[in-house]
Amino acid sequence: MKVLYIEDDPRAAAELCELGWQQGDIIAVETDGQSGLRRAGIEAFDVIIMDRMLGDSDGLALVARLRDSGVSTPVLMLSALGRTSDRAEGLEAGADDYLAKPFEALELLARIRALHRRASGREHSAVILYGAFECHVKARTAFRSNRHLALSPREFELFRYFMENAGEVITREMLLFDVWNMAFDPQTNVVDVNIGRLRRKLEEGFDSPALETVWGSGYRLLEGRAEPRTEDQAP
Amino acid sequence: MRRSIFTHITVLSAALSAALLLGLWWVTDRTIDETIAASLAEGVDVDLAGLVDIHASGGADELARRIDDRLAVMPKDGARAHYLLIDGEGVRIAGDLAAWPDLDPAISERGPIRIGQQTRAEARATMLAGNLRLLVAHEPVGRGALLSRVGLVFVLGGAVFVACIALFAQVAGARVRHRVASVGAAFRNGDDQALAALATAERKDEIDEIARQAALALERDRQLMTAYRETSEQVAHEIRTPLSHLDARLVKALAASNNRQAGDHLVAARGDIRRLVGTLEALLDIAASKAHRGQRKGLRPVDLSALTRGICELYQDTAEDAGYAFSWDIAPDITLPGDEAQLGRVVTNLLDNAFKYNRPGGTIRVVLEPGPRLSIADNGPGIAPADRTRVFERFYRGNAVTGGDQPGAGLGLALAQAIAQRHGLVLKLLPSEPGAHFILLPEEG
Repeated sequence: MKVLYIEDDPRAAAELCELGWQQGDIIAVETDGQSGLRRAGIEAFDVIIMDRMLGDSDGLALVARLRDSGVSTPVLMLSALGRTSDRAEGLEAGADDYLAKPFEALELLARIRALHRRASGREHSAVILYGAFECHVKARTAFRSNRHLALSPREFELFRYFMENAGEVITREMLLFDVWNMAFDPQTNVVDVNIGRLRRKLEEGFDSPALETVWGSGYRLLEGRAEPRTEDQAP
Repeated sequence: MRRSIFTHITVLSAALSAALLLGLWWVTDRTIDETIAASLAEGVDVDLAGLVDIHASGGADELARRIDDRLAVMPKDGARAHYLLIDGEGVRIAGDLAAWPDLDPAISERGPIRIGQQTRAEARATMLAGNLRLLVAHEPVGRGALLSRVGLVFVLGGAVFVACIALFAQVAGARVRHRVASVGAAFRNGDDQALAALATAERKDEIDEIARQAALALERDRQLMTAYRETSEQVAHEIRTPLSHLDARLVKALAASNNRQAGDHLVAARGDIRRLVGTLEALLDIAASKAHRGQRKGLRPVDLSALTRGICELYQDTAEDAGYAFSWDIAPDITLPGDEAQLGRVVTNLLDNAFKYNRPGGTIRVVLEPGPRLSIADNGPGIAPADRTRVFERFYRGNAVTGGDQPGAGLGLALAQAIAQRHGLVLKLLPSEPGAHFILLPEEG
């Protein structure tokens, strides 16, 4: 995957380059808006990451110009402005996704891969398969090792999101925003409770775990095959 | 229903002109009466002077003949003349009156007299040589016909006059109404071009001046908003960027740490960063909501019923786990212009409170009715009376009943109130025992 990162803060650029990129990923950095715009126009990238507040230009105007000039590369806007209205402005300007600083590295990577997947046409089909799990999107049914999982509509939405991002770490923020359309974290434990319910449904009658709690970050769907049971830890 | 000032002006103008016409009619009526009376008196005096001259030149017999001649003529206008000529003994020599009225001929007295039962007449008496006494009386000319003619002119002319006044007021009012409406529309729709034109318009009249001053005030308001926005963005940027770097360092330290205890501290430190960011965002959201209060720009129709139901369903499992009896009754299709994410935050903050401050086996009830009127009630320990007026203040965390051990910066209800007011709603805490009962409803007025 080839990524262009337009960021005027060298420290932030360095931090991003140190994230857990996969072998073969290429991260190109441009430190101002004009150079970024020029480079995005002449070179093909899979995803563009853009800071919203650049020294020489406003990221919102930049992404709009990018779209006007016919560049349709998916753009993820990174910003120190994280209010709901800021996010809405970013998406309206033409960005495909928006992430506020400070962010979870795993969330950024998951979002970039999701953008890349969508842009390259590898959208999920009517049936998503991952390990021992099956998700029949249209029929709204779920199976583990061919055994039907009795999920409520809300649990199914959650399961489908994990299946769409199978193998990726899913943060609380991603669940709140992408599944429940909430741009903030409630003070009560609704996320944990909903995850707990789904986990019980996925693991009931099986010896191996289905959902892994990633220490300090979030949750990840496991393949659900014959892995030994491990003790979960709080995120 | 809004009442137009221009309709008032039109009605008032018509009523005032009608009242003026009535006053004018009264004055005209009086003037006609006085003129008729003066003319009658003058006619009597002229008639009397003529008869005195006849007596002086022709004597009493000639006078009596002339009186008989005059009585024989019936005037065209119906205003008859009456005469009486008597000698010193009171014996009638000529004339048609039976008795001498109460007028003193020695002083040539003039005044009204009664002829028969109905008729009144203006009369003057005088003394003639030979101790004769002469009385001349004229009945008034019929004033009815004159008054009818003048009255008709008044009624027709007055109706045309009042109609013209009303029409003028209506046309002038419509023109002013149109101008006021276009100024109002420019402000209501936030039409930048129209507002700029208003701010720079030459001051032609009072409406232009008011519109110009209002547009200038709005421009100052917008400059203030821009300054506020720039400042809040800079504050957010200058705080979140270093926190982002700090978070990156913590992540590195976490990755390098094999010590579980140190790792727990690092995870907790990352949580602190997120809480700090949350507090900053809540403060900025409160400020933004207050700054945008009353503005409809940027609001879109929000299905409050669907939004509330979705959030309630999300909390259902939490309620079951906590052992709360959680129920909701949501009327369908209640919509209002709003910001969906922000309205969702109001509902979530209220539900968070009901869940956080409750007791095992407690109840939580959500009711949404048209209005909209959203009610969220629990039967937890409630809020102490002393704290009730302060729960919507920023950073206020009541600890008398609710307990001070719950997490949160004390911004949830302040933010919910600011968002409510930005949407023309208000959040109230109703007195309830036990528990807390919040309602969200439209602001009065």
